[in-house]
Amino acid sequence: MASTAASVLSPLESAAEGEVSLFRLYVLRAMYLVLVVGLGAMIVPEIVSHELTSRGVIPSLLGAVWVLAFLGLRYPLEMLPLLMFEFAWKLIWMVAYGLPQWSAGQFPPTFAEDFFNIAFGAILLVVIPWGYVWRRFVKRPGTRWH
Amino acid sequence: MSTTAAPASPISMQRPVSEVPLWRLYLLRAMFLVFVIGGFFAHLPWLFDPDLSRRGMLDCMLVGLWVMSFFGLRYPLQMLPIFIYEFAWKTIWLFTFGLPKWVAGQVDPQLSQDIILIGLGPIVFGLIIPWGYVWRHYLKQPSERWR
Repeated sequence: MASTAASVLSPLESAAEGEVSLFRLYVLRAMYLVLVVGLGAMIVPEIVSHELTSRGVIPSLLGAVWVLAFLGLRYPLEMLPLLMFEFAWKLIWMVAYGLPQWSAGQFPPTFAEDFFNIAFGAILLVVIPWGYVWRRFVKRPGTRWH
Repeated sequence: MSTTAAPASPISMQRPVSEVPLWRLYLLRAMFLVFVIGGFFAHLPWLFDPDLSRRGMLDCMLVGLWVMSFFGLRYPLQMLPIFIYEFAWKTIWLFTFGLPKWVAGQVDPQLSQDIILIGLGPIVFGLIIPWGYVWRHYLKQPSERWR
């Protein structure tokens, strides 16, 4: 039955969602909830009331993570690219800026706060189901070309 | 058959094959390709020699999007959240930062540049994103399982 059903499904949809345990879905939802509540508390006031002169790019980028995290509560697996993005940029920041700035003792005034907030992203290492990411975003045949 | 199979298969797997026309997939891939190619010139030079006096957060978020765009070339639909994200942050910026500043007459070279690079984003991504698919797939579709 399952294989018959799979034949009418696109490659995109054919990987079993059951590959991820219910426990993992709850862990993912908890992570999205942390973003909704924690990031929201931090970033929404900044977006709502800010200096007219501020450039606003970073608050907007973080604000959009907050908005999309709501979708993640409902579709934790479909919204995995959001968490992958979060993990990617935080890892890159740590390697390119955070750790070199720390070891060189040379950093901007925002360093301590940024370092703490971004280091928290390390939790994504255990939150993201890497096996699933590997199967779904790397190993699976690409979306159709013709 | 599909109704029989439905209870056994997860909700998110029930979508038919060709919800999005092929030209749309190419359009999405073309945009991801713009990201990929643009990123080589925009990010690689500083990535190997970052200025440690900078905050670096913006740079790294943009590099994060660049990395994601490689996945988008192969899986344009699965990586749609990245374009939805692009649409969202640029829309937030335009309406809460860009336009108010512009209306107040506080136009400086940075704002002129941002209005083009960021402010046009909602229009560009508004046209590229298959909104019908987004509606069906990310809003209307029953939620992933809770138990």
